[in-house]
Amino acid sequence: MNPPRDRRTHAVQAEALYLINLLLAPGLAFLVLLWLARRHRASVNPLTRSHLRQTLTVSVWAGLLLVGVPAIIALVGNLDHPATWIVLLLYVLCCHATLVLLGVLGLSRAIAGETFVYPLLGSRKW
Amino acid sequence: MKYQSQMVAKPYFIAAIGLFLGQILFGLIMGLQYVVGDFLFPEIPFNVARMVHTNLLIVWLLFGFMGAAYYLIPEESERELHSPKLAMVMFWIFLAAGVMTILGYLFVPYATLAEMTGNNLLATMGREFLEQPLPTKVGIVVVALAMLYNLSMTVLRGRKTAINLVMLVGLWGLAIFFLFSFYNPGNIVKDKYFWWWVVHLWVEGVWELIMGAMLAFVLIKVTGVDREVIEKWLYVIIAMALITGLIGTGHHYYWIGAPEYWQWWGSVFSALEPIPFFMMTVFAFNMVNRRRREHPNKAAVLWALGTGVMAFLGAGVWGFLHTLAPVNFYTHGSQITAAHGHMAFYGAYVMVVITMISYTMPLMRGRAANSPLAQVVEMWSFWLMTVAMVFITLFLTAAGILQIWLQRISDQPMSFMAAQDQVALFYWLREGAGVIFLIGLLLYIGSFFIKGKAATAD
Repeated sequence: MNPPRDRRTHAVQAEALYLINLLLAPGLAFLVLLWLARRHRASVNPLTRSHLRQTLTVSVWAGLLLVGVPAIIALVGNLDHPATWIVLLLYVLCCHATLVLLGVLGLSRAIAGETFVYPLLGSRKW
Repeated sequence: MKYQSQMVAKPYFIAAIGLFLGQILFGLIMGLQYVVGDFLFPEIPFNVARMVHTNLLIVWLLFGFMGAAYYLIPEESERELHSPKLAMVMFWIFLAAGVMTILGYLFVPYATLAEMTGNNLLATMGREFLEQPLPTKVGIVVVALAMLYNLSMTVLRGRKTAINLVMLVGLWGLAIFFLFSFYNPGNIVKDKYFWWWVVHLWVEGVWELIMGAMLAFVLIKVTGVDREVIEKWLYVIIAMALITGLIGTGHHYYWIGAPEYWQWWGSVFSALEPIPFFMMTVFAFNMVNRRRREHPNKAAVLWALGTGVMAFLGAGVWGFLHTLAPVNFYTHGSQITAAHGHMAFYGAYVMVVITMISYTMPLMRGRAANSPLAQVVEMWSFWLMTVAMVFITLFLTAAGILQIWLQRISDQPMSFMAAQDQVALFYWLREGAGVIFLIGLLLYIGSFFIKGKAATAD
């Protein structure tokens, strides 16, 4: 039996915004996610709190991992050397794909009305 | 198993697995030839090993699709197959044609094979992936038409569902687009233009319909989720696949002499091509999360989930990586393409066929699921093959980046062969990952021979 739709709505919205931030509108979707999290920070629904907390935390991590680390690789490495490009491109590709796949897992759990903790990066408190 | 005639799928699946093993062996031979150029030369030259590797892939996947169709369509149509005898006759014709073609590649010089098989009457040979001699191509058409007649009659007289209709449309599309392999214009631009109507419109068009139908069928069976829910997902996924994939053909037209507007059309539409694969991943995980029962065949569930993930990575992410025209200007025809090709074929089509085999084979052998030990071995094979394929892809991507730098970006660009020497380390690593893949495949084959009491749902 599916849980009532309204119980899942904000959880699904949070996961969708996390994915949109990664795939379509970086930054903009994060701002909407921030607004959503602020609006529902005192929600009595643990599903909403769980997914909002997870997606917000991991979105911040995603920013660091996808902007910060590549910037360090570019600064430390020599961009005139192909080895730097191999490391940089493979890193961004793998890191981005992993974050998207985790978002897919989170989204499917939200649709199913279940809580989800992102491996390694997610917060266990909500 | 509900209908006796579904048993015709079994020989198709066995042949598919046998040819899959052949494909991997030739992949390893060819992988070694990348770094030890004269390995097995002159017995198996590189061009022959490559042709056998890619043709075996196509043929075994076709066997897999046909087997899946012969299993799935009677069950969905709620009636016996129109003619199981015709399906079996076609199996032997297709197998004989496939084996003779491969033996022809291996033992007869290609030019002589072309002469022997009537290429002078209608020249269709000598093009990548469509190297098959004329009689083989005609044989494929005959087998496909007989199969479509058989399956269409079954559906027409039985229940129509989204799954069997999507499967049937996919198979009709497969047969229709193959007809372009007989069109071989003298103008090389036109030749390439229509060559993609077979190659692209198969793998990024109608095959996605077949894949979606197979995945939906298995997910209904192993999760018990309402058919209506799964069918809605299937409709949206195949709509997205066709909307993006058909005009997405344009990403092959950037530099072949086709009009320049294809750079825009190809870029925009193929940038959207990851969407159906993304949806398939969400679909598979969502259905498993919403499952109404625990199915004893855990290996089949794992393969189904793996299909979603790996298809998204291989076809979606690695496809997007080099699909935009300004990026493709540099990456075209490099090892980046090979990386994408390997993971996309494995993730989308190899895994979905194995999903189907994993679900149906125990049923055709009289049990709901294999023994727990057999399933553990099968799941080991899943992880070994999948992780090995991830590494093959990563090593080829690294080789591709270095190749592009050396050949196309550097101030002093190297020749193709000089650049190949420089990326040899990655080819060695790829070969190592290939050996792991072979071990995984051998474990997979071995899992069929492990006896024991059938697993039950927890």
